Amino acid sequence: MSGGTAKLPQGDAPAASWRGRRAFWLVPLLLLPVPALLNQYQQYVVNMMLMYVPVAVGFNLVVGNLGLLAFSNVAFFGIGAYTTGVLMLQAGLPWWMTIIPAGLMGAIAGCATSVPALRGVRSFYLAIMTLAFGELMRWVYIRWEPVTGGSMGMAVPAPDFLGWPLITEGRKFYVFLALALLVVIATDRLLRTRFGRAFLAIRSNEVAAAAMGIPTDRYIVLCFGWSGFAVGIGGAMYAALVGHLTPVSFDLTELLVEFAMIMVGGLGSLVGSVIGAVVITAAPQVFLDFPGFQELVFGVLIILVLLFLPNGLASLLARLHPGFRDRYHRE
Amino acid sequence: MLAQLVVSGVAAGMLYALVALSMTVVYRATTVVNFGHGDMVAAGAYAVLVFAVGLGMPFAAALALATAVLFLFGVLLQRVLLQPIIAGPHLSLAMMVLAVGFTLRGAERLEWGNEVINLARPYPRGVFMLGSVVVTMDDVVITGCVLALLLVLFVVFHVTPIGRIIQAVFQTERGAALVGINVRAFHAVMWGAGAALGAIGGVLLALIVPLTPDMGQWVLLQGFAAMTIGGFGSLYGALVGGVLLGMMQNVLGFYVGTVFIDITAYLVIILVLLIRPNGLFGRQSTVRV
Repeated sequence: MSGGTAKLPQGDAPAASWRGRRAFWLVPLLLLPVPALLNQYQQYVVNMMLMYVPVAVGFNLVVGNLGLLAFSNVAFFGIGAYTTGVLMLQAGLPWWMTIIPAGLMGAIAGCATSVPALRGVRSFYLAIMTLAFGELMRWVYIRWEPVTGGSMGMAVPAPDFLGWPLITEGRKFYVFLALALLVVIATDRLLRTRFGRAFLAIRSNEVAAAAMGIPTDRYIVLCFGWSGFAVGIGGAMYAALVGHLTPVSFDLTELLVEFAMIMVGGLGSLVGSVIGAVVITAAPQVFLDFPGFQELVFGVLIILVLLFLPNGLASLLARLHPGFRDRYHRE
Repeated sequence: MLAQLVVSGVAAGMLYALVALSMTVVYRATTVVNFGHGDMVAAGAYAVLVFAVGLGMPFAAALALATAVLFLFGVLLQRVLLQPIIAGPHLSLAMMVLAVGFTLRGAERLEWGNEVINLARPYPRGVFMLGSVVVTMDDVVITGCVLALLLVLFVVFHVTPIGRIIQAVFQTERGAALVGINVRAFHAVMWGAGAALGAIGGVLLALIVPLTPDMGQWVLLQGFAAMTIGGFGSLYGALVGGVLLGMMQNVLGFYVGTVFIDITAYLVIILVLLIRPNGLFGRQSTVRV
């Protein structure tokens, strides 16, 4: 992402990259004893951070890596959450069996969102359209009362994982950690292949990418689909974490939260998405929580990042230690 | 009944048109789509609330002062927040104004909470009958104000040299700078003008709909819908789009179901952009490599 450095082809020394990958595995290992150290509330906040990891990763993929201004992330999030809720409540499925369907519904919504993008709707037109789509979904949650419970919302039954009831926040933590880790690793794998490079090519110059023989349409659909899948899984985690789904949770304020995550963390950076999910979830817990204060703080944070740190906190970490640099994001 | 629906739709549509117009002014002058505009519109209404109710000023003075404050806000926004990153990607500019909008909304919510406020009308309530059609004083005042502002805009864009400057800067900023136009100052003034126009729209809006911090996002989407129908960047398109949107809301709401009033704007945006990605009257933009 840093514009000043020389443009080099991919690949560090293999040894350094191998060490970097080993260091990556230390992070989840170090997190394993966390539930023993925290009380229920603190654990809840940590779980929320983990829940936001796939959400931010999915959002960042489209906005940061593909470079399309699509604000439909909250719609995927809500669709995932409601899929889980409806399947548990109406079909009586256990929570763990709804995770993949929630992801798939998110992916379908993602692919549907890519249709206007394929038809040539771009830049702010796409932003406006996806904004309208998100608000339309919220209207659906409110109006489709027999299924979604209307504006009163629906209570999600107690979650369990393969028959292991997730009755404490500590138990949820391990499942969430595994899910967040899976999404991050899978996205990392995706970005390391020609897919990731094609996303970057499309962001830099779509017409040139198409001229080089990259089937841009296919990659745009794929990017939106994977984004929707990741965010949908985040939605399933949200349903398990909060236990009550209301349409208000999926409004434009939620969009601000998710938007702040990828902006503050670092656009187009996988590490940045994770950092953003952690920092932005923690921020309201540190500040006093008056109504409106969150919007004010996040708004100012985004402004400051745009002015002084255009590549987000991830770039700050990368400056401290090259191990934090995403190897597939160099331009 | 249809006549009644159309007439009340036109009055509401005039407001959407004014919001769309103020966004179009900024877009035409700077090519930035103002994602924070809805919140600036709401800020205008809150400013009048502060001056008229908080400080007890007469309504006209409060309106003038609020417009001036928002003008200054627009100028400062461009100077302090947008100018430093203007060379960067266009995406950042859109995100910056979005963040400014969120900040404004947060500040409003911090001060007034989520309570619903109604601005007192500075004119007597009244009802006129045109045959069987009821026209309220609100309809007359709003339509009158918007038409007057439109006249001013028309003169500025087509009679004064400012119009030519706007056209020049919209076509090529570098070229405009080369022939001696101060593009920076021009951008700042146009941001100010957009914010001030939006503020007037916000005050008119607050006369008929209750004022909440969340008004901004609703206003933004109505404005976008009006601009989408009319084609981005066209002043008349914004007017036509706003009025059409207002009428569609009323007609759909009455004949199909009131639940559709809320989502007319969203449906319009999605359908129009799916069928014609550049808006109904928008010109096909060419892709430059």
